[in-house]
Order: sequence, then C-alpha cells, then structure tokens
Amino acid sequence: MIDFSMYDVKVPEIKGYRCQTCGTVHYPAPMICSKCSTRRDPVTGRKWETFNLEGPVTLLTWTRVWNLPEGYNVKYLLFGIVEFGNGLRASGRLGVENPVIGMTLNTRVEESDERPGKPVNVFVFE
Amino acid sequence: MSARIGIVGIGHIRFGNSSEYDLADIMAYAATDALIDAGILEQRREVDQVFVANMASGLFCHQSSVASSMVSKLDMEPVPAETVENGPASGASAVKLGYMAIASGMADVVLVVGGEIMRKVSGWEATDVVATMLHPEAEYAMGLTLPSFGGMFARLYMDKYGCTERDLALIAVKDHDNGALNKYAHVQAACTIEAIADSETAGVVNNYIAEPLRIYSTCPVTDGSCALLLVNMDSPKAKLFKKKPVRIAGIGSATDTHCVHNRKDPLRLDAVRIAGAKAYKMAGLNPGDISFAELHDAFTVLELAISEEIGLFERGKAYLAVRKGETTIKGRLPINPSGGLKAKGHPVGATGVSQVVELVRQLRGEAEEGRQVKDPKYGMSVNFGGFGNNVVAIICAKD
Repeated sequence: MIDFSMYDVKVPEIKGYRCQTCGTVHYPAPMICSKCSTRRDPVTGRKWETFNLEGPVTLLTWTRVWNLPEGYNVKYLLFGIVEFGNGLRASGRLGVENPVIGMTLNTRVEESDERPGKPVNVFVFE
Repeated sequence: MSARIGIVGIGHIRFGNSSEYDLADIMAYAATDALIDAGILEQRREVDQVFVANMASGLFCHQSSVASSMVSKLDMEPVPAETVENGPASGASAVKLGYMAIASGMADVVLVVGGEIMRKVSGWEATDVVATMLHPEAEYAMGLTLPSFGGMFARLYMDKYGCTERDLALIAVKDHDNGALNKYAHVQAACTIEAIADSETAGVVNNYIAEPLRIYSTCPVTDGSCALLLVNMDSPKAKLFKKKPVRIAGIGSATDTHCVHNRKDPLRLDAVRIAGAKAYKMAGLNPGDISFAELHDAFTVLELAISEEIGLFERGKAYLAVRKGETTIKGRLPINPSGGLKAKGHPVGATGVSQVVELVRQLRGEAEEGRQVKDPKYGMSVNFGGFGNNVVAIICAKD
C-alpha cells in the first residue's frame, strides 16, 4: 500500500483572518484590526485565527480580459469581485462564460504558476 | 498656507516611443527645456532642489537612481536631487513635494521632472509591470491587471447610470480631436464615432481589451518626459525669471484601500473626492470656478467618474454632458484639452507633471490654435495612482 501522506499533498486554500478580540473578519491579512486596533503578529498569529474562504458568493461585477500580461497563454480570462456570506469581499477569476451581476457562484481555490515566482493560490468562482 | 508659489518654466518632449533612448537623457532634455523657458539655463545651479518622478525605471529599464543620473547630465551638481515614486501619481506627488519644499522654507526654486520609458519591454511585460502596484496576494497573484479593474468599474458605472459604450467612444473622439492638435501628444490623429462605435466594422477597429472597455476606451503604452520649474514668488530669486508665474493655488491628496474589493461602494473614488476637496479648500475655490480640467483618463470611464467626484458634474450625469459636447474645447467645461492620457499618452511616472504643464500652457494662452481654452482663470488636474488608492489634485491660477 502506498502512503500518500508522505507526499504532503495539500488542497489549495486561501485564508481569511478573524480578530479574536472583537470578532471582525478581514481579507487579505491586515496588520491592525480595523475595528479594535488589535495588532496581528504575522509570525505568531497570536490573538488572531484564520479560516478558509469558501462557499457560495454573490457576484458584484465582472470583466473579460483580452490583453493578459506576460505568462498567460490563453485567449482571455474572466475576473470578478464577489461577496462571501460573512460580508468579506474578494477579487478572483470566474469559471463561468456568461456571468450576470448578482448571480450566486461557488468558490474553488487552485494553484497558479503563470506569474513570475513561486506558484500561488487563486480563487476561481464558478 | 501663506507661501505664494508659482511655475515659471515648463518643458515637455513629444510623448510616444523613446525606447531607443536613455531615461535620464529624455528627462534631462525636458528639464533643459524648462530651464530655457524660465530663462535660467546658465544660472541653473540657482535651483535649490530637484525632484524626479518615476514609477518603475528598475523594472522597465533596469535602471535605478535616475535623479542622480539626470542631475549629472544637466551638470547641476551639487544641487540636491531625489526620486519620487507614487505609482502613476508619481508626477503630481513630485509637484506636491516641490511645493512643500518651498513652503517649508528649505528651497526657493525647485525643478520637478517626470519621466518613464515603458516601451523598452513588450506590451505584455508592460502590463505586468504596471500590475505590480496591485495587492501582491489578493489582486496581482489572481492575474488581475489595471485594465481588469477598469473593466469591472466601467460595468458597474454603465449598469447603474445608463452610460453606454458609445458614450465612452464619444470621450475618445473628443480626446483624439484635442490630441491631434497637441504637438506633445503620442497619438496625433483624430478618430470618428462612425469608425469606433457606429459602423458595422467598429468592433474590429475598436476591439475589447477588458469588457466593456475597448482599445479606444484605454490609454496607449507611452514613453515621455516633462518638467516644471517652481519658485517662491516672494523670494529674491523670483526676479531671475522672465515669465510671469502661473500660481499653484491648491494641492490636495488622499489614499484609499489598496484592495479595490475592500471599498464599501466599489463605484466611489473616495481618494479623488477627498483630494479634490482639499485642493478646493486650499485655493478658496469651488468646482464652479474651474475653467478646464486635466483628468486621469487611463480608461475613458475614469474621466466621467473623476469629474463627478471633484464636483464638476452631478454623480452619474457626466456622460450626458459629454453627449451635449460640454467637455469639448468650445464647450462649457473643457476636459482634457491636451488629449488626456487617451491621446496624449500615459508614461506612468511622468503623467502628473505633464498634466500640470498643460495647465500652465493653457493659463499662459500658449496652447496650439484650435485647442486653446478661451480665457481660462483656473485649471485643475487629477493624477490617479493605483486604481484610485493614491490621488493628487492640483489647481493652478492665472493671477
């Protein structure tokens, strides 16, 4: 039997940040809580907790981009700004061909290596 | 603010493709023009401070410390010189810092130079370099670019206010009409509404960049440089200059969230509104006093939104003024008489300086025939950094 755990295979994820002092949620990571000014230490994470940004979102606006920057070998990509159920918003790619403002989409996170540097995790709302 | 600070010299190369040249060379060329215009070429060491506006010479040209390089080319050592970087608002930030240096008493004469060479790299690479101003994890990594945000903003604006793609094309036609007459513009060619919006082939000529924005809704990739000479109008050095100063009446700047998605209303450009309000307050003016404006139309929809945020038009109504021709040279309130970023071009670090050069040319009455605003008293510029996260507004006056 092969033990896959030794390969450290991780499911891509993107984190939101919750201030444990007042409960305010943030994305991306802040240095100071916007509500109670609690400091976030990026090394220890003390007084803060993280959670996966996932689940259904509402599409606020979108575009189809035809002049992609260096590294992208597709004809176009769709992008949008969405709102999660907890009120947090995010920008990311869209996995639907004919988006409509106000539609509900689901969140998926995938690894992208198009841009320079190490691969990064990106949102795909579909 | 008690200091009276004016502009006594301007310089500007023709924007376009300078990729065969050295960045410090084109900056020094425009600076020399400004020194000649002010009549102090031989006395150039009377300049107390040099600020050089540049966004990304390291990425576009593999070159850093351009302020030191430019000062040396001008044989101006030991005049102090620093580079100012504030994304696409670097130019207006350098003007602001020049003003502050004089107002503080540390300088009486300041040379402000803006320059960028973007075309040493491919268009793909340039789009990527400009996108590095976005949030590295939450925006840039996703593949987003500045046109992406322009497209998403335009969709919301059009959805909410009823503005159409044809309305955006009308702005391009107006800007190209002005740019065609501007000897410094990158694109000195008019275009017709038939060619870019009304004809059956318009979609081919004017294809999508970031829907609903098309090529003619978007500024070109441009190289260029320009310069201004600022003086304390009450200092003894003011007597050195042959031209009557155009006074800087007001400057305001403000920031907004780095991530566009974190704005409560993604259609509001708070930094523009606040920067404009500060500039009006400092100048003791209201939007109704402004004779013409140079606004940061990197995407034509921004000309509409910025003009509304600074109070020149009611929110959501600027496109109706465009339809009526109110923003043309002969209209009630000319906007972007230079051709704007759309036709004059947008060498990112230079743009804010170039906008103020245009204010000075118009207020002096030195613009080319056909694009001179009639008897202007106050001109206003808005230089827009990031996607509206760092904005500088400037008002100049003909006293």
